Amino acid sequence: MTALATNQAMGKPLDHGRLALVMVSMCTASLLAGCFGSKTYPNTLDKNLRVHTTTDSGSWFSRVRAAVDIHGVGEDCTLDYEGTVQLADPKMDIGIPSHRWSYLVFVFANSSFLANTSGTITYETLLKPRAGSHYEVAVSYRDDMYHVGIRETSPNQSTSREIERLALRACRSSSGRK
Amino acid sequence: MNRFNLLTVTLFAIWIPGCISHPQTAEEFRKAVPGAFSAKVETFEVDRPFSQVAGTFQKMGPDCLSKTIKTTSQTTTSYQVIVTTYKPTVLVVGKKAELHVQQHHEQGVINVSKEPDGGYYLLVADAHPVTQTKTRIDLYRPSMGHGVLIQAVKNWATGENVGCPDLTK
Repeated sequence: MTALATNQAMGKPLDHGRLALVMVSMCTASLLAGCFGSKTYPNTLDKNLRVHTTTDSGSWFSRVRAAVDIHGVGEDCTLDYEGTVQLADPKMDIGIPSHRWSYLVFVFANSSFLANTSGTITYETLLKPRAGSHYEVAVSYRDDMYHVGIRETSPNQSTSREIERLALRACRSSSGRK
Repeated sequence: MNRFNLLTVTLFAIWIPGCISHPQTAEEFRKAVPGAFSAKVETFEVDRPFSQVAGTFQKMGPDCLSKTIKTTSQTTTSYQVIVTTYKPTVLVVGKKAELHVQQHHEQGVINVSKEPDGGYYLLVADAHPVTQTKTRIDLYRPSMGHGVLIQAVKNWATGENVGCPDLTK
């Protein structure tokens, strides 16, 4: 407690109010991490996805957050959760493995402060990036409508093509995976 | 699902005054809607070829509406969780395209009458060609609540602001 109660960097003791605030913040952070059960995606690979995100809840009293869960897809179509990227910035670069199926789950979580309601809706798709290709992902939420669009630009090409959504059930069809 | 939508669900459960029965097919739904308290028929034309409208229904229906949604609402005295599974069906035969939307409550709502396979009918949209460039839409829909879903289907017909509805609203 002595160590906690002393702000060593500042060299002066914390008052009880600030101490309580720090403890509440730490507890809240740990609770949230536990509740959401998510981990941050390592995002250490070469960046091949650029995600453009716009969200607008349409109300002062509600909020929408966007994120993408990234799963690896096994040979038997089992999912291996690799982590979540919070799409907090309008433009974010993400690296996912090439020549391997990934399952991307775009999550829109809304909450209303006045009505005290919350809900989550998702948009899922399989994606197998090609080496050297670049992918532009448009993620939007506006007027209670959401949209996710993915475009692929191949190496040495200036034009791009839209990537159709591929549901997980397509994984079970061998023709869909090869 | 907000309280207004919950009210709609309840009213749909009552459906036709004095008659606790739900349409078991899309055709029964079409016939029941004009006389129902909480539903209405809306007809409009869009400046878009029939093939494009049908194509949008075929793409967006399954993409956007094959969902299971969990919503929570909380007050000082209650905590409610509703889990709803939506089932879209798109049929394109000749010069008619149909979009059926059904909903099945997995949790949080008590059903009071026989539920069709796939859930209660919530909305049916029929598209017919009028000319080469115009399409007529007959929309059998709730008259209260589910505004986001209704707007999305209208957008799919017009081709403007095409997106998926946030079914938690």
